[in-house]
Amino acid sequence: MKLRSARVHREAVGMSPATPWLFVAPATLLVVATILTPIVMSGWISLHSWSMLTPLSAMQWVGLDNYATIFRDASFMRALGNTAVFAGAFVVVAVPVALVMAVLISRSRARGARVVLALLFTTYVIPTVAVALLWGYLLSPRGGPVNELFKLVGLPIQPWLGSPRTALWSLVLLTIWQYLGYFTTILVAGLTQIPKEYDEAAEIDGAGPVRRLFAITIPLLRRPLTFATAICLINGLGAFDAVNVLTKGGPSDSTNVVTLHAVRTAFDYGQAGRAAAMTMVLLIGVVVAVGGVLLMSKDLQD
Amino acid sequence: MDRLRRGVRGIPATVLLIAAGAFAAFPLFWLVASALKRPEEITKLPPVWLPAQPSLDAFGEAFRLLPIGSAFLNSFLIAGLSTAAVLATSVAAGWAFAVYRFRGRDQLFLLLLATMFVPPIATLVPLYWLVQSAGLLDSIVGVLVPQLANAFGIYLIRQFARGVPTELLDAGRADGATEWQILRKIGVPLLRPAIATLAMFAFVYYWNAYLWPLVILQSPDNYTVVLLVNQLLSYTTAVKYANVIYAGTLLAIIPNIVLFLWVRRAYSDMGFSSAVKG
Repeated sequence: MKLRSARVHREAVGMSPATPWLFVAPATLLVVATILTPIVMSGWISLHSWSMLTPLSAMQWVGLDNYATIFRDASFMRALGNTAVFAGAFVVVAVPVALVMAVLISRSRARGARVVLALLFTTYVIPTVAVALLWGYLLSPRGGPVNELFKLVGLPIQPWLGSPRTALWSLVLLTIWQYLGYFTTILVAGLTQIPKEYDEAAEIDGAGPVRRLFAITIPLLRRPLTFATAICLINGLGAFDAVNVLTKGGPSDSTNVVTLHAVRTAFDYGQAGRAAAMTMVLLIGVVVAVGGVLLMSKDLQD
Repeated sequence: MDRLRRGVRGIPATVLLIAAGAFAAFPLFWLVASALKRPEEITKLPPVWLPAQPSLDAFGEAFRLLPIGSAFLNSFLIAGLSTAAVLATSVAAGWAFAVYRFRGRDQLFLLLLATMFVPPIATLVPLYWLVQSAGLLDSIVGVLVPQLANAFGIYLIRQFARGVPTELLDAGRADGATEWQILRKIGVPLLRPAIATLAMFAFVYYWNAYLWPLVILQSPDNYTVVLLVNQLLSYTTAVKYANVIYAGTLLAIIPNIVLFLWVRRAYSDMGFSSAVKG
């Protein structure tokens, strides 16, 4: 405590009080100009009727009409539901599987474990557009390699992206493939911070691997788990790339998601006010979902 | 006996690891194998798993059909300049948040951190309008506008910089160094693993960007590699071009993979452990 205050004192003597502000100013001004201001503008635009092609002054105030319209629009409601299912399935599968992989990799003494980690992470650096193109071929219903493998092992072949019943799940599958290694890497890094002795002591006391996972690893891994879950939710709720490349929301709206719907509303139909309302709804959804995760993780802490 | 028991218990774990490795590797294998196939092999049903005579023809064809050179140049410019800007703004801000105490510091940091959770679509309409009003549509500068600072970068650098011992900075001050010199001469060398990790993430992120360049860039001359891959889709109806599409896709992902392997080699855990600790 004493050391800390001495440090503050020295800083106060040694430098102008403006110095820290000069250091943070470029990043702060850019974030304010390119993220915070646009969010406020988005909120304002969502209360107007406006096509992006006209000047801002041509906007017409419509109050909450855009919100009333989109909540009555069956297609948007469907997109909202698909987005929630997509993000939910992504989080529920990707984070637990990443946790198991991370525990196995960090406990394993085999050199191959690190190779598996590098291989898993490689998929994360690939552009989603390329991931989508590749998986479009892999999942091709007729003669695609995945269905061929299914035939080999005796599983029923699937229509994948071609059927409203399976298309959204196919997108979940390729998204998990893309992100699994990223989440695993975050959790492996978190595991290196936990002393091995905790786990070994519990093992000596007779706790099995599942018990140790829940009693020791998960509580101690709270921070990276929260981080991974939050990132997973944001990417899931904001998904656009693969959907736009592979299905454009089809077949029959089964993969339409909020981002795609908003982009089309703004750029294809010239209804930027309505699109802004959709993005505000999505933003609120993200805030609620991520906020919920952060609160849950706080509860775990106490 | 104990060793035997351990060995037997390790089997499910090994099987799971191999399964995960195969899950990650199979699509990559398929991509490379298909890019090396000849047209007569790529059109076969059921598919040929391995090309009988691997050939680089598809790559030549990709270069012939597509403006790959200019797309690579555009992508390198956009990803490179964005990364440089993000590094500069993040190192300065992350450092200040970690080593100085000033009024409103924690509130400002939380505000910036919160923007990490904003989905890009939430800012798309106003940003598009701003870029349009500035006359920057269909230009690389227009793409760069929102890519110069980033909350994740500030967070990563700050987490890492918090581990820098105060004594080092005080020693610098005692020698009469200014705060700027302390950052450059003491901070930056210590932050190298974090800077390399951030550089990789930023480059990969901006190289892979799709929606923003898609709405800003219109003429094919200005296309990035990702937009070119997107355009390849229009060829997917022609089965005989499939190997060319695979080849183009493979080319598009090579820079990121090289960058990742290089950073991983230099900094094995890529500065992640500091990013996730308290």
